[in-house]
Amino acid sequence: MNWLLAIPALPAFAFIAMVALPRRVRNNILWLPIGAIVGATALSWAAFAQVWPGGGELTSVAWNYSWVLGVVGGRPFELGLQLDAIGAILLVTVTFVATCVQIYSLGYMHNDERIGWYYAVLSLFTSAMLGLVLADNLLLAFVTWELMGLCSYLLIGFWYQLEAPRKASQKAFLVTRVGDLGFLFALMVIYKAIGTWELTDVLSSIPTWAPGVATAAAIGLLIAAMGKSAQVPLHVWLPDAMAGPTPASALIHAATMVAAGVYLVARMMPVFLAAPAVLQATLIIGSITAIVGGLLAAVQHDVKKVLAYSTISQLGLMFMALGAASVGAALFHLVTHAFFKSLLFLGAGVIIHSAKTQDMREMGGLRKYMPITWITFLIGSLALAGVMPLSGFFSKDEILAVMLHGHNYWAFGVVIAASLITAFYMTRLYFRVFEGPEQDEHLHEGHISMTAPMVALAAVTCVIGFSSVRFAEFLGHEGEWPSLMLIAISAAVAVVGIGSGWWVYGRRSVVVNTRVYKDRLGLAYGALTQKLYFDAAYEILFIKPFIFFAGLLAIFDSSVIDGIVNGVARGWIRVSSVSWTFDGIVIDGAVNGIATLSRQAGTSLRKLQSGRLQSYQRLVLSALVVLMVCLVIYVVVKGA
Amino acid sequence: MSETINGVAFAILAVMCVGGAIGMLFTKNIVHAAFWLLEVSVAAAGLFFILNADYVALVQLLVYAVAVAVLMVFSIMITLRRLEDAIRPRDFSALAAVLGVLFCGVMVYVLLAFSAPAGQKLPAVPPDIAAFGKLLFAVNGWALQFEIASLILVVALVGAVWWTMEGED
Amino acid sequence: MRVGLEPFLILAAVLFSLGLYGAVSKKATVMLLMSLELMAIAININLVAFSRFVTPRTMDGLFFAVFTMVVSAAEVGLGLALVLAIYRRSRESEVDRLSQLKG
Repeated sequence: MNWLLAIPALPAFAFIAMVALPRRVRNNILWLPIGAIVGATALSWAAFAQVWPGGGELTSVAWNYSWVLGVVGGRPFELGLQLDAIGAILLVTVTFVATCVQIYSLGYMHNDERIGWYYAVLSLFTSAMLGLVLADNLLLAFVTWELMGLCSYLLIGFWYQLEAPRKASQKAFLVTRVGDLGFLFALMVIYKAIGTWELTDVLSSIPTWAPGVATAAAIGLLIAAMGKSAQVPLHVWLPDAMAGPTPASALIHAATMVAAGVYLVARMMPVFLAAPAVLQATLIIGSITAIVGGLLAAVQHDVKKVLAYSTISQLGLMFMALGAASVGAALFHLVTHAFFKSLLFLGAGVIIHSAKTQDMREMGGLRKYMPITWITFLIGSLALAGVMPLSGFFSKDEILAVMLHGHNYWAFGVVIAASLITAFYMTRLYFRVFEGPEQDEHLHEGHISMTAPMVALAAVTCVIGFSSVRFAEFLGHEGEWPSLMLIAISAAVAVVGIGSGWWVYGRRSVVVNTRVYKDRLGLAYGALTQKLYFDAAYEILFIKPFIFFAGLLAIFDSSVIDGIVNGVARGWIRVSSVSWTFDGIVIDGAVNGIATLSRQAGTSLRKLQSGRLQSYQRLVLSALVVLMVCLVIYVVVKGA
Repeated sequence: MSETINGVAFAILAVMCVGGAIGMLFTKNIVHAAFWLLEVSVAAAGLFFILNADYVALVQLLVYAVAVAVLMVFSIMITLRRLEDAIRPRDFSALAAVLGVLFCGVMVYVLLAFSAPAGQKLPAVPPDIAAFGKLLFAVNGWALQFEIASLILVVALVGAVWWTMEGED
Repeated sequence: MRVGLEPFLILAAVLFSLGLYGAVSKKATVMLLMSLELMAIAININLVAFSRFVTPRTMDGLFFAVFTMVVSAAEVGLGLALVLAIYRRSRESEVDRLSQLKG
């Protein structure tokens, strides 16, 4: 089964080939990365077939292979890949979404002059994500984790000529770095405890860990996951990341990379089970994120930002499922969310591409002009809102069922509230964009390369929900269909959410004047439009004190340090003035004599000295080579 | 690791080294050149790894691949006023080409003509970091040289700061 | 496939020649420094290879390589500082226009 290596290697090869080629060639061989990702998709399905029908222990590994890279400090240094049920599911999901996004980008990015570079980074990202999924070793996981961060940075700042993407990319890099430090911390803790990073060894040795080790490691991993998966309070980078190209946002900031945090926690679940307090913290952080993300999504005017906050909120739901120790529910929501959220982002891309704006207040009535986008976007929205036969319904119900079984009634309430808000803001988005008065006549449907991936994703969104029972069994859980009570509750939630959205934004008889609601909400609305003051708080908490301390240090520097330096210098001048007298009488006489001599020599050598650095250097290096040649000839002649 | 050097690994790293060097010399963009140098440094670190010189490889990665490359990129960025300044003509010099080819030819000739057969066998004892460290800090080992090296670094540091400070205010 | 000492030496010779070419032909000061770095890397490959094949126990070459790195790091630091200083003074970073070395 060593062909599994090809799954991450194919896109990596595409990246290397693309980067090595000059830009003109690179821009014209886009079939290469697309071919690579299609190949990786096919191999992923083959890998999936190897794990099928699943159902074993969650930590059981279907295949594992390590390559010894060398000996470092007397220990063999190996990196390897492994395949298990979680990995197989993510492989198939990631490669499918990545293929859709790459095909879509053909249309979306077609007249960008750096499209080749875009595809190269997209390939590197896909390779890193697949490497993370297959890694059998926490060190490799960390390397790929960082690589994904780098690709995210490059893609957010893809249009680096503009101010906003540049700033957003730096913000994303710095904020996720906080999380990466957590990962590094966890790596150190684990290595200190058992001296290896092999996943199977780590997970099987947990009962023997000293008390506190599991907690420390889990805290580190949780922080890492929070950074990557944009959990409150490290969520601030994700909305800004929308400054990047929309298909990249679909792949990285909606479907795959942000899910890496969820994946990491799911993979390391035994560590979290050994640290119940951290598990509880995961649940609480997830709850806060689910609510905060949803509320913020409801007040955004930028289409992509609504989707970004919605992603944050949905990731919060996944964290809640993880906090309730249900890997199955979290992963199932991850998979369904990956499909419908990337679908929504791709739809948003078509809308932005056509309407030339991201502000939904300037949109309206797009339904008529872009029927395919309309249908697929509607499917995605309904799935996200949790409407009955679509995938989001099943995955959300599974999370609800988990909360109910665990008697976490407050968490159950949080999920209900989050779903309600979700249904509300998706309705708002839908009505603002597709219904209502038309604003522009120059609208057109996206190119076939853009609509085809959306149709594929929509089709998956429609059917994948029905796999929920099989999915749970695949991961070795008891799967069951949602009970009637849950169906009733979530249907009611969806109806209330959509209904209230329609009441505010959809009714034709009412002139859409949301000013009234905004005034009525007053202070709360203001807080929401200021993103609940997270950015402002960071400014006050971290940036201002930093500048303040820098100022203090500057004052210290100029008064104390400079004083010392100047004092020493003054003393030195005293000493020198004594020696100056001696200097003038004795030394000068000797020096002047030598100088006269060398001036005469210099005049004759002057022609050699052009004063140009370059010619000096040429002279020296040429002389070196000539001398060497002479030496060799001498030795050869003498030896012969 | 076995007691032979993996030919495939060597071939890959050698191609990376030479390719990176050629890329560095013949790219038009000076920023790209810095990245090519970075690639060559990483490949050289790989070569050190397959030669069982772990410590040197790590120092190579830290010093060259990180510090020097970053320094290069920074000073390029400081001395570039516009983005377009990074693009420059490929300087070509016949003298340089002649010198390079001559040097390479002579070196390879000498290597092939004079190499001792003793150099062919790979000795069985791979050095390890602990022994290296003990020798490095042994008084009758390399401790004195080590201190001198650190002195050089301090002098270079002070000198660099002094040079760049000059002309400020 | 077994690899002996010679491939390493030949590789180093090729790298050194490329560095030599760059050091003589390049006009940008930073490029010049990079070429010097290339030559230093080539030398280090030589040293480490010799150390592994000839003196594996005493590791003389490794120590030399480390000290070479120290020196070339110092050289790069100073060189770049010089580039910046010259640039500040004359807004110039081309070697072939630096002609104030004559007294």
